Amino acid sequence: MADAAIHGHEHEYHRGFFTRWFMSTNHKDIGILYLVVSALVGFIAVSFTIYMRLELMNPGVQYMCMEGMRLTAAGLGECTPNGHLWNVLITGHGILMMFFVVIPALFGGFGNYFMPLQIGAPDMAFPRMNNLSFWMYVAGTTLAICSVLSPGGNDQLGSGVGWILYPPLSVNEGGMSMDLAIFAVHVSGASSILGAINMITTFLNMRAPGMTLFKVPLFSWSIFVTAWLILLALPVLAGAITMLLTDRNFGTTFFDPAGGGDPILYQHILWFFGHPEVYIIILPGFGIISHVIATFSRKPVFGYLPMVWALIAIGALGFVVWAHHMYTVGMSLTQQSYFMLATMVIAVPTGVKVFSWIATMWGGSIEFKTPMLWAFGFLFLFTLGGVTGIVLSQAGVDRAYHDTYYVVAHFHYVMSLGAVFAIFAGIYFYFPKMTGRRIPEWAGQLHFWAMFVGSNVTFFPQHFLGRQGMPRRYIDYPEAFALWNQVSSYGAFLSFASFVFFFIVIIYAIVAGEKETRANPWNEYADTLEWTLPSPPPEHTFEILPKQEEWDKSPAH
Amino acid sequence: MPYIINNETGEGKVTTIELWPYNSLKPRGFAFFLGVTFALISLPLFNVLGTKVFWGLFPFLFLTLTGIWFALRKSLRDRQILEQLRLHKDELVLIRQNPTGEQKEWVCSTYWSKLRMYDNEGPVANYITLRGNGREVELGSFLGEDERKELFHELSRLLTKLKSNL
Repeated sequence: MADAAIHGHEHEYHRGFFTRWFMSTNHKDIGILYLVVSALVGFIAVSFTIYMRLELMNPGVQYMCMEGMRLTAAGLGECTPNGHLWNVLITGHGILMMFFVVIPALFGGFGNYFMPLQIGAPDMAFPRMNNLSFWMYVAGTTLAICSVLSPGGNDQLGSGVGWILYPPLSVNEGGMSMDLAIFAVHVSGASSILGAINMITTFLNMRAPGMTLFKVPLFSWSIFVTAWLILLALPVLAGAITMLLTDRNFGTTFFDPAGGGDPILYQHILWFFGHPEVYIIILPGFGIISHVIATFSRKPVFGYLPMVWALIAIGALGFVVWAHHMYTVGMSLTQQSYFMLATMVIAVPTGVKVFSWIATMWGGSIEFKTPMLWAFGFLFLFTLGGVTGIVLSQAGVDRAYHDTYYVVAHFHYVMSLGAVFAIFAGIYFYFPKMTGRRIPEWAGQLHFWAMFVGSNVTFFPQHFLGRQGMPRRYIDYPEAFALWNQVSSYGAFLSFASFVFFFIVIIYAIVAGEKETRANPWNEYADTLEWTLPSPPPEHTFEILPKQEEWDKSPAH
Repeated sequence: MPYIINNETGEGKVTTIELWPYNSLKPRGFAFFLGVTFALISLPLFNVLGTKVFWGLFPFLFLTLTGIWFALRKSLRDRQILEQLRLHKDELVLIRQNPTGEQKEWVCSTYWSKLRMYDNEGPVANYITLRGNGREVELGSFLGEDERKELFHELSRLLTKLKSNL
């Protein structure tokens, strides 16, 4: 029998710095850890691109020389182009961004911190497994960075096979760098699967009494759908790269035609994971944007139920369109027609979301605070990227655009600009809640405008380059592509400057920012449960079940 | 409401109250979720039936499916607490079944038992305890605070009735 504990506060103790941050099982602390680590990894991945844009700024090769990497073009004699270094950088950028930056930030960071709060749960269902997920993510990141620095193909460091790791290139790449990259993806995949199991269990079994599935806030819904996609897609990737590993090291021939294998099958399996992966990246962003737009339009979100079904539909459709990444591998006409039509159908639920966001703003009292600016930017850029997606979904048109800069522009508009703008919207929206301090409004606005202009100047001209026929993944290009490459590089430098500025602002705000202790610094339309807690929230939250009237603000649903 | 009161009257019958923590996942939901997950996770396998690659994918898909099944079961099991209070004419019996399977019992004479609700002093608001036989034990600390209030009123009424009929 549980003896009564009338003075029940004895269990509280002060955790030291090491215990709190290195042995944490608290979902809020783990969320913050995810955000911090993914920001640092993001900085590394972005630095790679800046070096690449520096190289692409002018025709010819000035920086990535066989004689050694250079930081200035002040001609130090002969420069033999080092294509391997270039390939390593694009591979590193791709792997880091896909597995170690955006998913950990949105799903691991915001998901961990806010999903349990929004559904009124005291913590995740398995707090210690949550800690394991985080540290496996850190271990995976370390392996990925080791892979860039260890002996690889062409008797140089790192492997340059592209983040999709297509065989036979990835099987024949020399050195141990490629194996480390595979292990990195393994470990991060295991981390994501454990995280997803945790999120799903929390979402399904720990919702507050009365919170039926269709009363759950949209962000929590997006995290649930994302977790489900991870659960279904990541094991497929784990299987595929394990087979690559055995093909490389143990002489199996899963993907080697000489032994009866099929390299195209690898592409099918990879994209069966890879297409859901892009929705895994963007869906939590959709959730954050819904809350930001509703809050700063001072209206409840338009069409809650269609919004939820659109999330589910996007998730489901994501699994049946994978081959639109590989129209050029020689599929039958029927197969191509199917994948083309299925791909275009995704525009319907996505359109439901975009129009519902616009309808939320319609007639609302819109306030251009920093988070809302980022949400606006997201809406514009994501829609633009979506429209080029419709263009690329046409199997015929894709023949011309495949592997050109048009594709690069398309996926950077939806992911680099879409998902990343959603991350920034989330950071500016939730920063006062997480830290109890404010980010200066002018700094947020400056960051937004620099990033918005910079990233558009970077990626919009790449549509022109793609239409002119400039192929992806090359260190050099003919003179004719010079103009727009130069413009694109200037845009990249501006975005990078804004990114560095963001780090300074965040450090300043954490150390010396204006205190913000109100539970809800925005307005009454930020009406989910996290806004009923003090800022920053105490260590333990919702140990007592929340009452329905605290979160059920629109009984009409 | 996660408690029921079996108010049986008549010769030799006792009133029992059963309390358990709220779970938002119901058995139907559990079955539905696992069914859909099973169907979707086997989708990529159709693509590779009859090839060696099938055996490269299968273990990972199987492990994941087992993982989510085990996690959901564990989450439900971890919260399998059942508190059962039997209100006999001459004694109160409170049996608490913990998730680990162990069972704890408290017995007290009905007449000497004392029901109390602490508004704020307890670990949760409206903390209900029963005192007697040298111990003070808690009741329904996992319920919502309004539910506990309601339970307290119901229980006081029952106890008063029992004590006055002695």
